[in-house]
Amino acid sequence: MSILEARNAAYSYDGKKAVLKNVTVGFESGKIYAILGPSGCGKTTLLSLLGGLDSPTGGQIIFDGEDISKRGLAFHRKNNVAFIFQNYNLIDYMTPAENVALTSKKPPLPILERLGLTREEAKRNVLRLSGGQQQRVAIARALASSARVILADEPTGNLDEDTAEEIADVLRDCARKLNKCVVIVTHSDKVAKRADETVRLKRGEIYRG
Amino acid sequence: MSFIKRAILYCARQRLRTAILFLTLTIIASFLLTAIAVRDAAYTAAAGVRTAVGGKIVLEPDTDGNMDAGVQNSWGTVYGYTGDLITPDIVTAISGIDGVAGLNAEDTAAYYGAGVDFGYIPAAFDLSYTPYGEASSYTATLSSEKCAAFQSGKYKLTDGRHIAPGDRRVCLISKELADYNGLSVGGSVKMYSLDTDAVTEFEIIGIFDGTEGTSGNALTVDEIPANRGYIDYATMFELFEDGLSGYQQLTVYADDPTDVQSVCDRISALPELAGKTLKLRIDTEEYDAVSAPLTSLQKSVNMTIIIIAAVGAAISALLLTVRVRGWKTEIGILLSVGVSRANIVLQLFAEAALTAAVSLAAAVPLSGLTAEKAGELLTPANLEVKIGAEYLPPLCIIGFLLIAAAVAVSSWTVVRANPRDILAKIS
Repeated sequence: MSILEARNAAYSYDGKKAVLKNVTVGFESGKIYAILGPSGCGKTTLLSLLGGLDSPTGGQIIFDGEDISKRGLAFHRKNNVAFIFQNYNLIDYMTPAENVALTSKKPPLPILERLGLTREEAKRNVLRLSGGQQQRVAIARALASSARVILADEPTGNLDEDTAEEIADVLRDCARKLNKCVVIVTHSDKVAKRADETVRLKRGEIYRG
Repeated sequence: MSFIKRAILYCARQRLRTAILFLTLTIIASFLLTAIAVRDAAYTAAAGVRTAVGGKIVLEPDTDGNMDAGVQNSWGTVYGYTGDLITPDIVTAISGIDGVAGLNAEDTAAYYGAGVDFGYIPAAFDLSYTPYGEASSYTATLSSEKCAAFQSGKYKLTDGRHIAPGDRRVCLISKELADYNGLSVGGSVKMYSLDTDAVTEFEIIGIFDGTEGTSGNALTVDEIPANRGYIDYATMFELFEDGLSGYQQLTVYADDPTDVQSVCDRISALPELAGKTLKLRIDTEEYDAVSAPLTSLQKSVNMTIIIIAAVGAAISALLLTVRVRGWKTEIGILLSVGVSRANIVLQLFAEAALTAAVSLAAAVPLSGLTAEKAGELLTPANLEVKIGAEYLPPLCIIGFLLIAAAVAVSSWTVVRANPRDILAKIS
């Protein structure tokens, strides 16, 4: 059963340029999904709608059987989903531990250590970490929250191949071991190969070719 | 993580931005504190002047319709007043009224006396028109302290006391005349009046200075200010019992100028004044003259406070707006992790408030120095400008409102923005 679902979701700018057209797709817990497609096909827009960063101009986004607009998008973002971005989006004057503490009251160090950061690294300013380490901090922040869905937008886009594979493995483990639903927007075949299912978008529509 | 902890982390880690805001707020707070202190000092000084000068009511003959047909002489037509005069009974009744701080009748050159046992400082011509030489003029007064020359500060009593109601056969002489004749307080002088053809002895009860250097090239002894003095009014009534049946004018002083109208009402209700052709008027000229610079200072400082507050709010809003633009990434991230817009605005407010609190703490000693300088600059107004603890609550309230306004203005557009748009711009 889908925990997160787009039902006939549509999105257009100013009611003219349609970015998404009646997209219906569901995502289950414990699985990792890859959303693929050429640039400008609406992948990031779909991810933003699923994460409550914006409202669809048509259709619904359903979480656990309920339209997310009922409780408000901020509630959805706070309780149901967690984001991982290509450029990590960490608060740059905070340490990794403090960034993780933004979303959770749990002690951040065990999560960071589980993701490969040392205690010393966890107390450094995030800008003094490598790209891979910063992305691990972003993943740790997502995992620290109670969110059941992790939405990742090109999480390996800024990383070298080896690091990208490591991050992809971490995300797959999140889905398998922690029973999270992980949805990744990616251009990387290596990341896509680790997905349980792939969703292909073309010109704003699900492509079933 | 709470918004307060995020705010503390921001202030502690973004030191340059915090320092700029801190310095700006410190300067604004110092200016505000100094301005408030100057305004209060002006209020205190005005209150002091009010107590010192008091309110003034003038009782005088009403000449409208109370003049005779006039007598023709070689100088022209001389008209005489036919109405009532201010009698000692009326003065006694007025002095007993609540709120009356004092009263005075002052008649310049009411008495001309020639020195029987002392001499005047000589002038260019020796016009010995009395058996005792040339005479000099004396002001008859009920209360010499209230006389114009003493009120204005031109003359100051250096020894003894002033003439007060109830005094008889007393006088005040200048220090120059006293030194010239070896006279002192407690001594006496005998004077001959050509008008009464009598010698009268006056006790010297006070010596005043302020006449020094004003003698110049006087032709007669009476033109030398040091030769002029003050005598009590009671002696005048004794000496001129036929020709003097009342005071020319009576000035009544109220404790507080704000109470002057009710004192005036009480005087006009006196039975002693019923049906008399005397009129009362309130004279605030002296108080207005002394307090005008202070009132003007209060007004300009109030305007300054408003301008500083407005400019301070504008600069703070500008600084915070620049700060919020740089802060956009954080807002996008916080929104994406589910932090509410209100919580984000609270963080921005807490950052500004924390910085403002430290600024206020720094502004107190800084404005202490500027207030001291302001006090020195305003010395002519005798202002004592000090920063007291009582200024902190109003400054905190003003600061809180300024920061709240600045935060509201600066954060409005960004916080209203769609989180997806913010994150897209970050990317």
